[in-house]
Amino acid sequence: MSTNTYDAIVIGSGISGGWAAKELTEKGLKTILLERGRDIEHVKDYVNATKGPWEFPHRGGRTVQMEKDYPVLKRDYPLNETNLDYWVDEKESPYTEVKRFDWFRGYHVGGRSLMWGRQSYRWHDTDFEANLKDGIGVDWPIRYKDLAPWYDYVEGFAGISGNHDNVPILPNGNFMPPMDMNCVEKDVAARINSHYKGSRYMIIGRTANITKPLPGRTNCQYRNKCWLGCPFGAYFSTQSSTLPAARATGNLTLRPWSIVTRILYDKDTKKAKGVEVLDAQNNQTYQYFAKIVFVNASTLNSAWVLMNSATDIWPDGLGSSSGELGHNLMDHHLGVGAGGLVEGYDDKYYFGRRANGIYIPRFRNLNGEKRDYIRGFGYQGGAGREEWGRAIPEFSIGGEFKDALTEPGAWNMGIGGFGETLPYHENRAFLDKTKKDKWGLPVLAIDATIKENEKKMRVDMANDAKEMLELAGVKNVQVYTSEAVLGRGIHEMGTARMGRDPKTSVLNEWNQVWDAKNVFVTDGAAMASTACQNPSLTYMAMTARAANHAVEELKKGNL
Amino acid sequence: MDRRSAIRNLALVMGSAAILPYCTPGKPIAHYTHFDVNLDQQNLVAELAETIIPKTTSPGARDLELDKFVWLMLDDCTKKEDRDAFFKGMGEFNDLVKKSYNKTFSESTMDEKHTILNTFEKKPKPSQKNIDPSDDKYSKELLGFYGTVHWLTAFGYTESKYFMTKEIVWELVPGRYNAYFPVKNLKAAKNG
Repeated sequence: MSTNTYDAIVIGSGISGGWAAKELTEKGLKTILLERGRDIEHVKDYVNATKGPWEFPHRGGRTVQMEKDYPVLKRDYPLNETNLDYWVDEKESPYTEVKRFDWFRGYHVGGRSLMWGRQSYRWHDTDFEANLKDGIGVDWPIRYKDLAPWYDYVEGFAGISGNHDNVPILPNGNFMPPMDMNCVEKDVAARINSHYKGSRYMIIGRTANITKPLPGRTNCQYRNKCWLGCPFGAYFSTQSSTLPAARATGNLTLRPWSIVTRILYDKDTKKAKGVEVLDAQNNQTYQYFAKIVFVNASTLNSAWVLMNSATDIWPDGLGSSSGELGHNLMDHHLGVGAGGLVEGYDDKYYFGRRANGIYIPRFRNLNGEKRDYIRGFGYQGGAGREEWGRAIPEFSIGGEFKDALTEPGAWNMGIGGFGETLPYHENRAFLDKTKKDKWGLPVLAIDATIKENEKKMRVDMANDAKEMLELAGVKNVQVYTSEAVLGRGIHEMGTARMGRDPKTSVLNEWNQVWDAKNVFVTDGAAMASTACQNPSLTYMAMTARAANHAVEELKKGNL
Repeated sequence: MDRRSAIRNLALVMGSAAILPYCTPGKPIAHYTHFDVNLDQQNLVAELAETIIPKTTSPGARDLELDKFVWLMLDDCTKKEDRDAFFKGMGEFNDLVKKSYNKTFSESTMDEKHTILNTFEKKPKPSQKNIDPSDDKYSKELLGFYGTVHWLTAFGYTESKYFMTKEIVWELVPGRYNAYFPVKNLKAAKNG
């Protein structure tokens, strides 16, 4: 037996790949976890996590040079000097934008689990049934009951803090104690909840920041520096959570610098026999063999791996028989919301920096309502007091100005929408063989845009935000809108959707590639629709469920 | 430019001053990646910063070297066209002071300095990104110059180690979230 042979291969070490590695190793499988980028060791490599703001030369800002080096990342908030090396080198790994698509990538151990927003919401049957009901895309092959026990399971391990709000559209979970709303949020929530009488809610965010210790992890210290890596392990990441668990089994091999170029397909067994890896440092090619392969390279790169695994049997890539591989690319559309000032509360403040906000779950197109679009959106937001830099009309220079800067400023409250994007066959990613990355590999071309349904939804997204804030007493409410750009939600989904029929989907109900049953895709690529909730918790549950199934099938000799 | 080369440059100037009858005001004394700064320019920004955040019972802009932060941000984080506008606006600012008091800003009295700056401050706060286009008294470069110095000085101050450890409650590890923290406890927390 070759030393390159394992029981399982996991491609990608982000949120879902970490979960796959943990589940498979804990079930006794010798597993190799392949990561295309460098290693980032928990705590030790969080080099900026314990610095004061004044220790950054530009106080956390961005330089002109950074904007030159990161032409994509600069389009939104992630570009800054505090965690620059957590983002992909865009010169080494370009992609083609047929239409603008903001692709924010993290190529290192842990992937975007290090930088993610941590908001964690369950889906509801309304979400799983939507495609069937609307005749859009394909029907999800699973329902809430299929994922519910796995939500329980992953929430318990990851540590999700949240309140049992009993919002019908947003199932309660297996939560740690919730974080607190501040005084303004609490009053705004009370007004919204009482005005809409159960048709709209404002709740505290449910976040993967722990509020009680877990083994090897300290509860959240309210530093709000999560995106630098947490020295307390207080938020869920591969490093803080799944990787230590997988390592503890003794069954894990982690191999950084491993770009999986293709899955090796055996046409006789109609299964994958392993993967080919290009070592990103020495440019050598290696092959690894295993009984099962989990593809968790993140939505678009999972599609890339499958497409680049073309054979004479499947010339468009592994899993391409339906013609849907690479298609139905989705994201949440955002950049619409409102905010304003809150009067009063001048004697109240807060202490600590809470890395969490409030959430307003979807309320549109429910309970028989029919807008001029389908599906819906939720809002995230929060209230806070301005600090320095606020308008101080009386003093702008001198000693009084200096003193005034130490006083807390006005309260404000803002919310921003996250909208569901429908699956459109023509929204797709494909291999651009005319362009090569640093390693000579073809890059991905992305061609996706929102359409009428999303545009109409954005009108409500703006108006509803204003209406709710105003009735809650927020003053001088300003609406903001922006051009909807896909990718900006950093919730890429689709390209290898699950379904009930191999003719119209890439994966079956267990995330197995129809064309190669021992290949599982359990990241965002598997999604058949997006709902409007932040998706990572669903990837976790889906991955744990698929890993369990994979091991059962292995035991039965079916794989 | 790092502090060491700034000191070296300054030493060079001091050395030449011993030989030359006077220090040439236009001669560069600090070299940044994208521009050189002469003594007059350095003094002007330092004086402006000190007027905005003066030394009182607590350290001021000069003590906290906020002018250096202004230059650094101008060098690293500002696009070429905005840098050019900054220097053009700086020239106009000098002209304005000269016209008003027949001396430089550095030579002006505190009252004169305040009077000049207050002519800017009575308007909506100017900054490079938020210039009142209806204003016809001052050019957008002049407003941009003052706005940039003002903004970066205030930003540098509130993000300085001194401010964040001595003036406000900023703890590296708060350890808790108190959602109902009375404002009156802020001072107590500062001292505590």
